[in-house]
Amino acid sequence: MEETSAVRRLDRLGVVLVAGGIAATALMPFIYVKANRIAAGKPMLLTQLLPQPSVIILTILLVLTAFATLFLRHALARLVIATLCLAALIIAIGLVSAAATPPGSTVARMTPGGGFWVLFAVIGLIISDALVKIRLAPWMRVAALVAYAALLFAFLSSGLLDSLSIMKEFSTRAPQFETEAISHLLLAFGSLAIAVVLGLPLGILCFWVPRLRAIVLQGLSLIQTIPSLALFGLLMLPLGYLATHVALAAAIGIRGIGTAPALIALVLYSLLPIVANTVVGLQGVDPSVRDAAAGMGLTRRQILTGIDMPLAFPVILTGIRIVLVQAIGMVTIAALIGGGGFGIFIFQGLGQTAMDLVLLGAVPTVFFAFSSAVILDAVIDSIRGSAA
Amino acid sequence: MLKKLALAVSLTAFAAGAAHAADVVVSSKIDTEGTLLGNVIALALEANGIKTQDRIALGATPVVRKAITAGEIDIYPEYTGNAGFFFNKADDAAWKNIDQGYELAKKLDYDANKIVWLTPSPANNTWALAVRNDVAEPNKLKSLTDFGKWVAGGGEAKLAASAEFVNSAGALPAFQTTYGFQLKPDQMVVLSGGDTAATIKAAADQTNGVNTAMVYGTDGAIQAAELTVLEDDKNVQQVYAPTPIIREEVLKANPKIEEVLTPIFKSLSADELRKLNAKIQVDGEPAKSVAEAYLKEKGFLK
Repeated sequence: MEETSAVRRLDRLGVVLVAGGIAATALMPFIYVKANRIAAGKPMLLTQLLPQPSVIILTILLVLTAFATLFLRHALARLVIATLCLAALIIAIGLVSAAATPPGSTVARMTPGGGFWVLFAVIGLIISDALVKIRLAPWMRVAALVAYAALLFAFLSSGLLDSLSIMKEFSTRAPQFETEAISHLLLAFGSLAIAVVLGLPLGILCFWVPRLRAIVLQGLSLIQTIPSLALFGLLMLPLGYLATHVALAAAIGIRGIGTAPALIALVLYSLLPIVANTVVGLQGVDPSVRDAAAGMGLTRRQILTGIDMPLAFPVILTGIRIVLVQAIGMVTIAALIGGGGFGIFIFQGLGQTAMDLVLLGAVPTVFFAFSSAVILDAVIDSIRGSAA
Repeated sequence: MLKKLALAVSLTAFAAGAAHAADVVVSSKIDTEGTLLGNVIALALEANGIKTQDRIALGATPVVRKAITAGEIDIYPEYTGNAGFFFNKADDAAWKNIDQGYELAKKLDYDANKIVWLTPSPANNTWALAVRNDVAEPNKLKSLTDFGKWVAGGGEAKLAASAEFVNSAGALPAFQTTYGFQLKPDQMVVLSGGDTAATIKAAADQTNGVNTAMVYGTDGAIQAAELTVLEDDKNVQQVYAPTPIIREEVLKANPKIEEVLTPIFKSLSADELRKLNAKIQVDGEPAKSVAEAYLKEKGFLK
């Protein structure tokens, strides 16, 4: 009985995914052919592109994947078929956009349409569902992420996708992309590091002194409610004042704009998850274990480092994962106050109504956020697994 | 390991601060024209032996303004009309005249911040109205006087503009009073943001029947969208001429900057700026290569 209901549950998800995929292919354009960077594009459905060989192969694989999702019980086989289909999808969009570009034109732009993105999401969900069913060990999940990322980078570097508008945007600003990628990651990880250095001791203090707990957590929650853009703006004034009047501040790089306000705002937003999760993690340690340790003669500090922290570590690491994903997303706003990062492309793209430039900033941000979530989740699970 | 990262972050910030000392820090606003002019300045200075540091496309006007008054950046392209807002003198009639506006901006900023306004470009990047070519040609609309007569005579205009443009006394109401026309509420599509890229796109795609767009005089997308800018022949709008502004101490350390930039900015007419902006926004070429190609074409760069 259990197995049949599990199968029926899968089928329902499979049915939804397959139905979504079919609806998207039939109703939404696969690609937009634009005369120039800002013109409205001519939409083309997948069916309209059929005579091309890459599209025929893609259609066959899509049908195979649909059948596999609905009827095939073996998760590994589903995974293989779905991966092949994903590869076919990426190859198809690359070849179709190359074919649709008028010969010799440098200004025409090909953008993937809603149909492509929905198919990408649907196949991605089928792949992750199959991966979950296979029940991989945590480090194997990271290996799977690395494998898929490597596949994607192989396609990108082979030049197959070069006719796509997002790659054209990339090619005109490749050095800037690298610089902004480094600043983006430095800001995200830097703020995480500072937040951990400040938040962990604060969390431990809140755990030991219950009266402090309420005040600190409420204060941090209040900060969390301030809209990020407003906080960046609010910090500009005092930091600018500090930079002009305190020589030491200016010497270590504090300015009213740029990295300093962005870093400080990010740290402020990151404190709540870390402090809250530290408190919850420490509260989750069985008091009888602590009693036993005290009974054995361990000091409070020894109990903290030897018993409390290791046992609370998975919960604290969950807080760190929340902070990292949040920070990677929030750094995009720092571009508005001169902080750099992928946000520059997003805002320049918005200002020029060049959505492909916006994508150039958004897609890497999503990729890094997703990857850090997967990697940290795997680390948390492996710690939990070994602890159990 | 985490501590090392924090140290790396603060050391990088410190190093970045230290590098300021020698080079001229060239910056600009984050919009298309700002990035173009910032690159023009940087390339021109480098070609004449002045070392520069690139902080182009820094952020919006308040951010860049704060940076220069705090001494973090040394030079960036600003607009003469904006000085009215920096110094709370937005109603002064001088802003409507390109030369008077420039002189007033120069005086105000030097007295207050010791920032020198170098030679401006003759272009006027101010609010304007642009109509679709297929409306302008049959009705012979070249200036706002023509437009006013056409609308008053029953011409079917539908305008896409920002809320600020529609409500600000100095913008649409001033146009309507001076040129004798009145747009009814159903003849306007009002957007909340001031993004002319959106209004131009609306007119190009005829979204909701829009055939007139609020634009800035030197927007790059105007020609590609097949719109005609209507001339403000009665000078209703304040003049926004792009001008390189520089901190006085940097200018004193590198007096050559003034003579290098003067002929370049004098050559940047509204038409030239529109063409260059179009190359960046419509054709997608990188701002640096567009700036380089322009400077080479005009002989400022070998």
